[in-house]
Amino acid sequence: MVNVLIDGLKERISNAIKINQSIGIILPASNYPDLVQALFERINSTPEEAWVYVTVTKPCDNILSQFEFLKDSKNIKFVDCISRAAGINKANDNCIFVESPTMLEKIGLEIINIFKEVDENVKKYLVIDSLTNLIIYNDPDIVTEFFYHIINRTRTKNIHTISLAIEEEELDKYLTRLIYLNDKILKVRDSFI
Amino acid sequence: MPITELSKNELCDTGIEELDVMLGGGIPTGSTVLVVGSSGSGKTTLCMQYLINGAKKGERGVFFTITEPLFKLTKNMEGFEFYDKKLIESGMVNLIDLRIISERLGLDTEKYTVEDASALLDILRDIADELNVKRLVIDSITALCYRLQTPEMIRDFIFKLGSSLAAMKCTTLLTSEVPPRKFQYSQYGIEEFISDGIMFLGDIERKGDLIRTFQLVKMRGAAHSRTKSAMSISTKNGVELAPLLKSRE
Amino acid sequence: MVKEEFISTGIEKLDTLLEGGTPKGFSILILGGPGSSIEILAKQLATTGNVLYFTTEETKEEILDTMKRFGWNAEKIEIIDIATEYSKAILSGEQKRVSVYEQRSKIKLKELIEIGSSGTPQITKGGQDFLAVLSNSIKISKYEKIIINSLDFFLNQYSQEEVLRTLHAAKISNFQNNGVIIMIMTRGIHGDVFERKMEGIADCVLELEVLQKGSTFERFLAVKKMKNYAKKIGIARYAIDSDGFILEMIERIM
Repeated sequence: MVNVLIDGLKERISNAIKINQSIGIILPASNYPDLVQALFERINSTPEEAWVYVTVTKPCDNILSQFEFLKDSKNIKFVDCISRAAGINKANDNCIFVESPTMLEKIGLEIINIFKEVDENVKKYLVIDSLTNLIIYNDPDIVTEFFYHIINRTRTKNIHTISLAIEEEELDKYLTRLIYLNDKILKVRDSFI
Repeated sequence: MPITELSKNELCDTGIEELDVMLGGGIPTGSTVLVVGSSGSGKTTLCMQYLINGAKKGERGVFFTITEPLFKLTKNMEGFEFYDKKLIESGMVNLIDLRIISERLGLDTEKYTVEDASALLDILRDIADELNVKRLVIDSITALCYRLQTPEMIRDFIFKLGSSLAAMKCTTLLTSEVPPRKFQYSQYGIEEFISDGIMFLGDIERKGDLIRTFQLVKMRGAAHSRTKSAMSISTKNGVELAPLLKSRE
Repeated sequence: MVKEEFISTGIEKLDTLLEGGTPKGFSILILGGPGSSIEILAKQLATTGNVLYFTTEETKEEILDTMKRFGWNAEKIEIIDIATEYSKAILSGEQKRVSVYEQRSKIKLKELIEIGSSGTPQITKGGQDFLAVLSNSIKISKYEKIIINSLDFFLNQYSQEEVLRTLHAAKISNFQNNGVIIMIMTRGIHGDVFERKMEGIADCVLELEVLQKGSTFERFLAVKKMKNYAKKIGIARYAIDSDGFILEMIERIM
């Protein structure tokens, strides 16, 4: 059952990202674990692509211990925005730490810096996990501005962006506004498949 | 706009990409630029990056420190990827402790008289000439002035420094220390008059975090924007700038 | 009267004026203007008892010579010669300044760059802290009399607050030691407020005054303050002869 759901998600994302430069995925919190698993499996199965994964949700270290297969992956780099703020000071070659999720400009800089080192012909993907958490730490207006910048910069550099928005009743009006900046929106529901 | 187009060799690029874009290529050669900020704002890092970047393309530089002993300075810089020890060893970047120089000259290292200060200025100029440097940094002008006894002496010294620097052909960065969150450019209020440019390193508060900011307040002979940028300091890339997102705070 | 409660000033008539000398543990401020020969008085006060004498204007030799000339006993005096130390510091500072330019021409620039690019500076200490010398010597003093000639020097080198703080501490040490501390200060150059504060600190204030009367000068020594001994307030005319201060006529005010 679970595997079917994950496979379904993988397929939907793969198809959507092929056609669109940026996709937003809006989902209930209950589907979040499946979605990230689907994403990481997809990343792991395509070593020829370059991925940058911005995490505002879980420390990079937690992600790596949950998905051990990522530890040897050469095609994913993390931008971890919460470890430092949470007082976790583990160093990691595959991860750039930003002191706080409020330092949006720095997050933007680090994303671009990582992609600068990637060969031009390699397919490039960016994941923002998640817009919901960015809004929790920041003023919604500034997140909109940030996200708008990111969408534009990645577009000019031919980077595909996948941004996650976990449904949160009180934040819905902001999330809706944000998610609509994407070229394509996927809504995940329990009855998704 | 009738801004004189300066050719490439009339500009001294800082090597900080976004800053050079902001400057239209670089600092006009021969300028004196005040780098203002509170303690820990990244003045020293920015200046060192400027010298190292110059040295990497063959321009010799000298860094005069009066606040930090050299071992401390190099220890702090070694963490940065831009820092290249070989450039120091080969003499492309010279680090000189002004306190040792004054000590060797028999000056009181903590208190200068007018004569001491002008003797020191002469030496500074002679060293720059001898080393044939294109880029010069004094870190910090505040600490230098602190050793002078009266406001009149400080005034005199700063103006003398200004004319000495103007007579030299090198492009100079002077750091100026100001208290945090004060929008002043210098401790003594006159340093800015001898400078052709002012870079202000500050910060803004966002949700309780301090975001580093950079502002090019003035630069004679360059069309530039005065909008604030966000500044990042990382061991990998040193100082970097990005457009500052407008927060409502 | 219990004689041991007092310490002789060293001038018989002054002891008479003070009815026996100065009470033990007292701090005495002596104020004087130009022409009052206050510097002679300072030395004459050092002629009896174990004395610690701080000199800031005259050297030790000058003091001993003067005392010899008057035929005074100078055996029990310990002199702390700040005057000589200070002039040494001034001279070496001046020499240093002069030698900067000489040094500069002697040292090769390359050598200087070499030195400047290596090592760490030794933080050279500023000049000697004379106020600390004063404060420390008084704290551990076993002397019956401590004479400071004069406060003017310290007031030129340090802030009034710093000097006051030191003197407050000195006064307390002296009180515990049961000695006498005598401080000489020039009248009229440190400001009224400061003089008032000093008069407040001192248990006893003496003032030397010179008045012009026709073509001659008359000199007076006034006891302006004597804590707990109001009777001792008085004034005396004085002259100076080959034996030093001679008090001629004593008038009681109370």
